[in-house]
Amino acid sequence: MKTRKLRILLGAAVILFFFALPIARLVLLSVQGEGGWSFGVYEELLRQKRFWDSLRNTAIIVAGSTLLSTLLGAAAAWLMAYTDIAWKKTMHLLILLCFILPSYVLTLSWSSFMGSQGPVAQLLEWLRPGAAPWSVYSMGGIVFVMGIHHFPLVYLFTVNVLKKIPRDLEWAAGTGGAGRGRVLLKITLPMALPGLTAGGLLVFLASLDNFGIPAFLGTPVNIRVLSTLIYEEIIGFGPSAFARGASLSVILGLIAVAGTLLQWMSVRRSRQGETYLPDEQPRYHLGRHRFWAMPLVWGSLLLMSIVPLLSMVSLSLRRSYGGGLSFSNLTFDNYRYILLENAGTWRSIQNSLQLSVSALAICLVIGTAIAYLRVRRPSRWNGLAELIISVPYTLPGIVFALSMILAWMEPVPGWNPGIYGTTTLLLIAYVCRFLVLQIRSGVTAFSQIDPALEEAASVSGAGTRRRWLAVLLPLLLPGLLGGGLLVFLTALTELTVSALLYSSGSQTIGVAIFGFEQAGSTLYSTAMSSLIVVLIFVGAGLLALMKKMLTRKRGAHTP
Amino acid sequence: MSIEIKQVEKTFGTFRALKSVNLSIEDGEFVAILGPSGCGKTTLLRLLAGFERPSGGEVVLGGRLAASSAMSLPPEKRHIGMVFQNFALWPHMNVADHVRFPIRHHKQTPPEVRKQEKARIEEVLKLVGLEQMANRMPHELSGGQKQRVAIARAIAARPSLLLMDEPLSSLDAMLRMDMRREIQSVHRSTGTAIVYVTHDQGEALAMADRIVVMKDGEIQQVGTPQDIYLRPQTEFVAQFVSKSNLIPGRWEQETFFPTGDQIEIAWAGQQVAETFRRSGQYPVRPDQLELGPVQDGALRGSILNVQFQGKEFHYDVRTSYGQWEVVSARPFERGDEVSLHLPAAERRQELRYAK
Repeated sequence: MKTRKLRILLGAAVILFFFALPIARLVLLSVQGEGGWSFGVYEELLRQKRFWDSLRNTAIIVAGSTLLSTLLGAAAAWLMAYTDIAWKKTMHLLILLCFILPSYVLTLSWSSFMGSQGPVAQLLEWLRPGAAPWSVYSMGGIVFVMGIHHFPLVYLFTVNVLKKIPRDLEWAAGTGGAGRGRVLLKITLPMALPGLTAGGLLVFLASLDNFGIPAFLGTPVNIRVLSTLIYEEIIGFGPSAFARGASLSVILGLIAVAGTLLQWMSVRRSRQGETYLPDEQPRYHLGRHRFWAMPLVWGSLLLMSIVPLLSMVSLSLRRSYGGGLSFSNLTFDNYRYILLENAGTWRSIQNSLQLSVSALAICLVIGTAIAYLRVRRPSRWNGLAELIISVPYTLPGIVFALSMILAWMEPVPGWNPGIYGTTTLLLIAYVCRFLVLQIRSGVTAFSQIDPALEEAASVSGAGTRRRWLAVLLPLLLPGLLGGGLLVFLTALTELTVSALLYSSGSQTIGVAIFGFEQAGSTLYSTAMSSLIVVLIFVGAGLLALMKKMLTRKRGAHTP
Repeated sequence: MSIEIKQVEKTFGTFRALKSVNLSIEDGEFVAILGPSGCGKTTLLRLLAGFERPSGGEVVLGGRLAASSAMSLPPEKRHIGMVFQNFALWPHMNVADHVRFPIRHHKQTPPEVRKQEKARIEEVLKLVGLEQMANRMPHELSGGQKQRVAIARAIAARPSLLLMDEPLSSLDAMLRMDMRREIQSVHRSTGTAIVYVTHDQGEALAMADRIVVMKDGEIQQVGTPQDIYLRPQTEFVAQFVSKSNLIPGRWEQETFFPTGDQIEIAWAGQQVAETFRRSGQYPVRPDQLELGPVQDGALRGSILNVQFQGKEFHYDVRTSYGQWEVVSARPFERGDEVSLHLPAAERRQELRYAK
């Protein structure tokens, strides 16, 4: 009993030290004046025009992109859940692709697609000489790219809610005399609203958190949002840079926390329909509308996901930016340069791979253990622990990154472990931020396994080790790998946290691409982004293969 | 393996799932624990398995202390077999793997079984009639076959105690009858003590050597199936096991006079338990009463509801003593007037009819 208490205390101390202390440090710094508590930094902040401009930009961008995502996501969800549109599986993957790709890759593909040398410009030039495409380096461009990047979130939330609306409710309205439009407006939409709200709020949070898109598209034209403003403050290293960054972070963090609370409440409401099974059969047959609806839907989806990506790849294969697309201008030089000639990029690829594999391994072990405790021995204490562990992921990345700097420069007064700026700090940051992803997928995986399966192994004479090896792990692995892939990919392509925490020698892939882009070396940044896309596809493909092999023997309907 | 359960208590928070339970089970005995959901029967079984630790009292298995409030031998060290309600088959292992698992991993597997693993697997699969299915995966089996695999797994390592947690409740009615026979034959051929938890009194009566009836965490009555069915000791057992009508009245020594105004009837009651004498009741099973055409001097009633069940009818009969359930092979219609007899009791006492 005594050792158990000791273990709980130890666990609590570790969790508080790694997950709560950094945030506390951040808040403290923002209210520390020369001689005690002071809101001086905030007062100074509120007097600056820069702050108010950024706040306004943030509001417009977040609101605009959330609206766009919600519309796109709802439409996609309705098509997938209700109609008999063809190739749904591929469509699902294409939709997810927009979110799986890191935001800076999506940004680069759109900027090359819409850029002065991109296919849109060429098309316009051919139609009417002198016409130029609309620039994505603008508020509108940021809203647009962010909206496309985040709409899969709304889609994912809404599609399940829609599938769970019992179709007799809609039939009842139909027999009551309502036409199709009225049924959609009076029955389907109100019932899908909790899902839409939950997804919409998630997009709100993601847009607040996003750093890549405004940094790539906004910074060159002096459009700042809160996250890029914090970045500039810290990088600018003024006399009170950290204090100003901290107070900005507290403001941004508070908005995010408020959004998270709202999101939780709406998720709870959207779970009301949980007792209904999803209904996979289409409810509307496109019929003769198929001839225009199919090309329209598929065309827009391809235009949103694959086409910009291809134009990015084609840009990366050019000898010179202004050279146009011709055979003589085709080269692999850009790839040769980033892979072989530039030591820094090679270093960054190594760093990112090392970091993401280590983060994956650590999260897999710790996250699975915590998930096991959460499912099999739920208590108020481990619930609280999970809540605290989720804080670093809930906060915008830039806020979390700053708190890590503050916490790890001198974790305990008088002790400097000297890890600031090293890959070790990046690893700690990644694990702290992404652990909750692994816990959540672990919780889902564990709750799908009947405890009796474990008990059956136990009465059959299997001890703890044997139970895990022979029963739990084989059953869990497919689910755990899904969560692991998410951790791996997010860590591999991470930009926000790394951008603040790296120093020379510990740069990551995201940082390297960001560096090329800031230096105007678009050919290199697109080449490297294309490489990342290939890495992502290879990684996801391998994982899907592994999952298939693991579940092949079990048949489709496992308990 | 003999089992001693001594004053076992189990509380979950403020809820007392088991209240000072005492029970001993002999080696080779088939004991059914019968009760409605929430009576503590599953908790008792999980204590025997080692999934829960008692809050008080002791569990002694084969003369060795297995659990008390201070310690609990983990399930894997108890050398038991268990059949679960929803089969609990491992979706990634085939039928033979399931049977092999306990043979390999039980520390107490008899050496002769361990040495002849392959022969034992075949033997066990034959016993449950699955010798052709050794390579099937769980999702390729029907419900009945799944339960046979679960039973095969539970007995493979020759455990000294077999626990069954409502093993038939996820099967359909026809299959349940077949599986009863199957479980009986497993008991005969293994000779292992079985503790069988169920809420179905039919299963308990049909298979068990002894039945333990539980309610609200307490044992109501322990006895042979005949004891339990014919001589209930408590109101709950009378109603839950044999669906008895509890007829109010007064006792004079061994004789019972139902309350009513029609005629005076007296029933002999040597067999009736003390509890009922104290509460002024007489338990009458639906099949004890005989229905006939209206007679003078007999107890009268009218048919309120009829349910045809094939070989018999289930009647609700209204009498001046209250509404009774009666099972009879004789056909009547709703609204018919009938007379009721309680033959066994009436024969004994040569009657004191009202004048």
